[in-house]
Amino acid sequence: VDRSNFKTCDQSSFCRRQRATPEGRNVYVVVMSSLHVEPSSLSMQLLNLDTKERLQMELSGLRGNMVRLKINEVNPLSKRYEPPIGDVLVKEPEKDNLHMMLSSSSSVSVALGDTTVVVNANPFRIDFIMDKEPVMSVNAKGLLNIEHLREKSHFRVNKEEPAGEEEPAGEEGADKEEENGEKEQKEPEKTEEEKATDDQDRDLWEETFKTHTDSKPKGPSSVGLDVSFPGFEHVYGLPEHADSLLLKSTKSTDPYRLYNLDVFEYELNSPMALYGSVPVLIAHSEKRTLGMFWMNVAETWIDIRSVIADKTMFSKLVDFVKGDSDIPQIDTHWFSESGIIDVMFLLGPKPNNVFQQYAKLTGTTALPPLFAIAYHQSRWNYNDEEDVASVVAGYDEHDIPLDVLWLDIEHTDGKRYFTWDAHKFPNSVDMINKVAAKGRKMVTIIDPHIKKDDNYFVHKEATEKGHYVKNKDGSDYEGWCWPGSSGWLDFLNPEVRQFWANKLQPDEYVGSTLDLYTWNDMNEPSVFNGPEITMHKDAVHFGGWEHRDVHNMYGTYLHRSTFEGQLQRSDNQKRPFVLSRAFFAGSQRYGAVWTGDNTGEWTHLKIALPMLMTLNLVGITLSGADVGGFFKNPEPELLTRWYQAAAYQPFFRAHAHLDTRRREPWLLPAEHLRAVREAVRTRYSLLPYWYTLFYNAESTGSPIMKPLWVDFPAEKDTFAIEDEHLVGSALLVHPVTDAGVAGVNVYLPGTDQVWYSVDTYEKFTGGRQHYIAVNLEKIPVFQRGGFIIPRKMRIRRAAILAKNDPYTLVVTLDRKGRARGDLYIDDYQTFDYRQGAYIHKEFILEDSQLTSKSLNPSQSGFVTKSWLERVIVAGVTTKPTSIKLTGNSVQPQQLDFTFDPSKQLLTIRKPGINIAEDFVISFQ
Amino acid sequence: TGRIERPRGVAISKASFYLPDRPFVCFDGSATISFEKVNDDYCDCTDASDEPGTSACPNGSFHCTNAGHKPQYIPSSRVNDGICDCCDGTDEYDSDAQCTNYCKELGKKAREEAERQRQLLEEGRKVYLDYAVRGKESVKEKQERLEQLRAEKDEAERRKNELEGVKKEAEVPETEAKEQHKKAWEEEKARLQSNQENERSDNAFKILDTNNDGVVSVEEMQEHSEFDIDTDGTVSVEEAKEYLEDSEQVDYETFHGKVWPNIKEIYTKEKEKQEAQEEELAKGDTEQPPEPTVAPDTTTPPPEEPVTTPTPTAQPPEVDPLLEPEEDLHHNYDDDEEDRYNEDEDDDDDDEEEKEEDKKAEVEPPSSASDTDDKMPEYDENTKGLIELADKAREDFNEADRKFRDIESEISKLESLLDIDFGGETEFYPLYGECFEMTDREYTYKLCPFDKATQRSKNGGSETSLGKWSHWDGPDGNKYSVMKFEKGQNCWNGPDRSVKVNVNCGKENQLLTATEPNKCEYEFQFVTPTACSQVPSPADESHDEL
Repeated sequence: VDRSNFKTCDQSSFCRRQRATPEGRNVYVVVMSSLHVEPSSLSMQLLNLDTKERLQMELSGLRGNMVRLKINEVNPLSKRYEPPIGDVLVKEPEKDNLHMMLSSSSSVSVALGDTTVVVNANPFRIDFIMDKEPVMSVNAKGLLNIEHLREKSHFRVNKEEPAGEEEPAGEEGADKEEENGEKEQKEPEKTEEEKATDDQDRDLWEETFKTHTDSKPKGPSSVGLDVSFPGFEHVYGLPEHADSLLLKSTKSTDPYRLYNLDVFEYELNSPMALYGSVPVLIAHSEKRTLGMFWMNVAETWIDIRSVIADKTMFSKLVDFVKGDSDIPQIDTHWFSESGIIDVMFLLGPKPNNVFQQYAKLTGTTALPPLFAIAYHQSRWNYNDEEDVASVVAGYDEHDIPLDVLWLDIEHTDGKRYFTWDAHKFPNSVDMINKVAAKGRKMVTIIDPHIKKDDNYFVHKEATEKGHYVKNKDGSDYEGWCWPGSSGWLDFLNPEVRQFWANKLQPDEYVGSTLDLYTWNDMNEPSVFNGPEITMHKDAVHFGGWEHRDVHNMYGTYLHRSTFEGQLQRSDNQKRPFVLSRAFFAGSQRYGAVWTGDNTGEWTHLKIALPMLMTLNLVGITLSGADVGGFFKNPEPELLTRWYQAAAYQPFFRAHAHLDTRRREPWLLPAEHLRAVREAVRTRYSLLPYWYTLFYNAESTGSPIMKPLWVDFPAEKDTFAIEDEHLVGSALLVHPVTDAGVAGVNVYLPGTDQVWYSVDTYEKFTGGRQHYIAVNLEKIPVFQRGGFIIPRKMRIRRAAILAKNDPYTLVVTLDRKGRARGDLYIDDYQTFDYRQGAYIHKEFILEDSQLTSKSLNPSQSGFVTKSWLERVIVAGVTTKPTSIKLTGNSVQPQQLDFTFDPSKQLLTIRKPGINIAEDFVISFQ
Repeated sequence: TGRIERPRGVAISKASFYLPDRPFVCFDGSATISFEKVNDDYCDCTDASDEPGTSACPNGSFHCTNAGHKPQYIPSSRVNDGICDCCDGTDEYDSDAQCTNYCKELGKKAREEAERQRQLLEEGRKVYLDYAVRGKESVKEKQERLEQLRAEKDEAERRKNELEGVKKEAEVPETEAKEQHKKAWEEEKARLQSNQENERSDNAFKILDTNNDGVVSVEEMQEHSEFDIDTDGTVSVEEAKEYLEDSEQVDYETFHGKVWPNIKEIYTKEKEKQEAQEEELAKGDTEQPPEPTVAPDTTTPPPEEPVTTPTPTAQPPEVDPLLEPEEDLHHNYDDDEEDRYNEDEDDDDDDEEEKEEDKKAEVEPPSSASDTDDKMPEYDENTKGLIELADKAREDFNEADRKFRDIESEISKLESLLDIDFGGETEFYPLYGECFEMTDREYTYKLCPFDKATQRSKNGGSETSLGKWSHWDGPDGNKYSVMKFEKGQNCWNGPDRSVKVNVNCGKENQLLTATEPNKCEYEFQFVTPTACSQVPSPADESHDEL
């Protein structure tokens, strides 16, 4: 990366000013007389003792164990930006009653469920108490800092505070005159300090980075607040950064930055901003898990510190601080360039509660069509129709399943999206139909920059209708991207979103069919000649908002518009599929994201794990990294290991840069090809399990690719593990991410747990590390005792072609000989399941009896031809004498089986019963 | 003609292994099962032999008879997957697919195609045989020529050495005489130069001595601005004295001996400058300095900020740093063919510029190295005679040497030619020295077997080398099916360009297609009768099972 293209905190004036707020500043007090109590909320004013400025604060209870805190200026000079309901938040959150506990002149306490929230008046502070312990504290460091909007002419530099604090409002008149006088006198000879102050002055109303000047017509407008987490040492979240799973102290680095940027050849282990932003932090300890969602779509930075709790601060509130031992604490400091402070505190107390709480606010990953979680092949670029045909044929020839083939920017007529290169793709409909004839799909790239060419219909219409983002002077914004000079559609405008959705309809998108899906790239937005390779902050959007106010949401609006276009083209029948590079909180509602332009190096394979786990923790479950790495040529071993790892990651797509060598699997040496084929086939055999996970996650918001601690929250050894992960709760995967290793150390959690190698059914005990020897063929994967995984062992060319195939249930018993699992089936592509047209089975094995029970008995007419082919039970100590199947539609019958005592493995042959039916298989 | 009963998906040749009246033994012996379990849609044998007609085994294959066309094995995973794979449709006996049997049409087409191929091979083979004969003859000729040259080489070398001796002998007296003559001339020249110097000193004295009083005084020196050492606009007394050996004035003797050597350079330079100025005035301003021949870049103005590493996928420009920044960007994403075109054009321009400069240099008069225009006088008759003799000896030697070198170079050419592998029967020899072109939308590609492969933009510009002949690269047993050209022009941030040429049997020599599957790695399809070495099989040998 060329770091000089991107701002450091020091080069971003609000970051510099907010970060310089002195700890313990504590200038705010609650004006108790302003307290207004409603059943579900408290509102009050905060007074800045220095400046006498006032803030309006509202604290409300939300259904599902959440508290929302909003702080805004009492009467801002102009309205501060708040994202419309439905854009970030799915809907207005339902409120929940707060129970008044105590109200005095010095504090007010309310209770929400098991949590007590104490608002301390002087200094202003909010403490969250659970089980008599303080668990969160707002403004404990006194860093609350809102830069009040002001008239430029009223501005003067506050000499006492060179860090650039806002000046007292009440004394403006007098100060102004005085200042003017001073200035005239002092002009010729200035001290260094004064020059520094002048610089600060200039940055308040105008800010220059490299050759770009941001005009900042509204002046300084940032908001900042600190939140402490006493009793916590581990915090996660805040994607997107190419960094560890655990958030690190930023004491000696820049803060974590959230500002969607197109970063060329990004660096690892850095708090630098990347393509997407989710301002969600999760704090976790053995006792509880909490979350915090900073709902602000402007540029945001977050400082993290790991400290020892200041016990005196909480001594009046609780007893726990009487203990002798030091209590760890994480301090966080959040600041955004504009907007308001609007924070949702997710009170857990368990990991799954936090996920569900966040899902209530921003929604869950919509159940994807089956092909979306199968294998995707992409490259910049597949050159022409013949190339497409030959790559697809290659997969059949080498018997590797494939579901989706992707076309990058070169497929267009001169980077005009919604068009085709007439020479390379003269018959795109035929091409798509041929690919679709084998159950496959295609994807084309469609980016938000529109070529400024008067003969290009999208540009022409967009110009006529005024659909482009504007410059500050009102003219159409213009910048450089792939097509050369381009305009950017203003997706904040609902009309523009509809315009875009219309463009996706087959009658407008000539040469497309309903088997063609979409990839939205460059939507940070990437502007090659813009500041930090993105849009100018003083560009103007729908409603007169500046780009600075909405930057981090821009990409999501495109993602959403494309999603809506796909919905419309099938009359809301078929589930859309759209991949986006930029994202924000809530992007999960619109489809998949990937980690952008990574590199074909081992370190990038390794970093994909924490990056994808972090995305999963904040709701963006359908996410992946380019298999093989976008830049550079991975060696065969690396590419093989990448396939093996990505086969267990939610979005599984190989992609490569134009300059790289071809790397379709059959170009690998024979032994590597075998391993890659096996990896992809294993993914396909597990698709019933993956699909069921996605179905369940749609209602719960649970992550799918999970850090171990999510399922073992009290096991401290798991908290920092990032080289292995869970898929759902039944599988643990430890990818091999180093060259030439003979084995890896795998931590298997749960002292009371048993784990089975999925390849050999060898049994391992939990709660400790195991050295597992590896060869090129496979990576270590374990199925947890107590789980049942449905699989399809017949591997077809594409996932949908296996729709009628029979199931194998793989049962791994826990220490008590029990196991459970479920299976979800529908038509894999439409929304009919929302009308009940699906099958959901629960399998329970206990007391030597496997029971299959329908969780959705009506099925609304949905039927399947699939039947139960075999049941494999691992961990069976004694051979059964006979095995009997009973079900409603079949005569009770004895089943054939084999038993391998050395492996404790029982295989039941061909129960044959339709999988939708309830049945019991009992062992004698 | 009795039909043999056999389970679904089994070829006749394997039918005897599946007998309904006895248990079935897996081919690999992994299990013995009752015959009802054959094709019961559950895999019992590790080698898949119990499920020839279902998709139950992961590694099995299904046999379709395809009456009317060729029988075929397909992977078991394609049985009942909803896609008709066999032309007789037998693979989809239990799926939603509505397969029609189109084996007859397919068979007819395949037989027609086979016949076409057979004819092609037959015709092509004639040419191939002819090429092989011609190739062998030519190679034989070359070998004979090589033998002949090797013999001639010895004689030529002997003669060359002999004449070299003669030449050296003749050059000794020649050199002596010439040196003597030159020495005499140099002495004479020195004398002449000294005279000239005196003359100039005289002239300068006369000019400086304005009042003709026989001495140059400080005041007289002060009239001449060239003596203004500190360039303050006036020649001070000190400055004048500095040149006049610290005296108020100097007479001619002192001037000539001491002052002139010191002021000679500065005085002469000033003189020349004045003359030049006068000349310039006389000429007027009709002549302009030459314009560079490169056309000015007329692309659009640059964007706000030149982007250095603009995007995830952009790179520094491949060729010309003078390109506008937006061009750079373009550059990386557009066909890089365009860039190559630009690159070539630029190269051309540079070349032309250089050439022009060369021409200019030739036209300009040689710099005045010597002050005297006098030339060395002619050699005397004796020396002339010696030179003539030596010239003759040199000429004789040079000719002998040239002849020797010619032979040597022809030998080396023949050796490297005969080193080339022209195929098992030398059948590719006739392609040597030939070139074949094809033109697509943007480029003309040229293939010169055993020499090089190139690409040229249709819009003009020079050729880009895609590779030089390297080696045959076909798989074992079919070595002559792929030609490899390597070490072409280097790609920015990439490899040297290279070409893989697939060589197939065709009626005529023809370059069919040229593609670039990997950046800078090209692939050509070339057909030639030379590749029709295979003996055509007799027509209609396809035997259907039914």
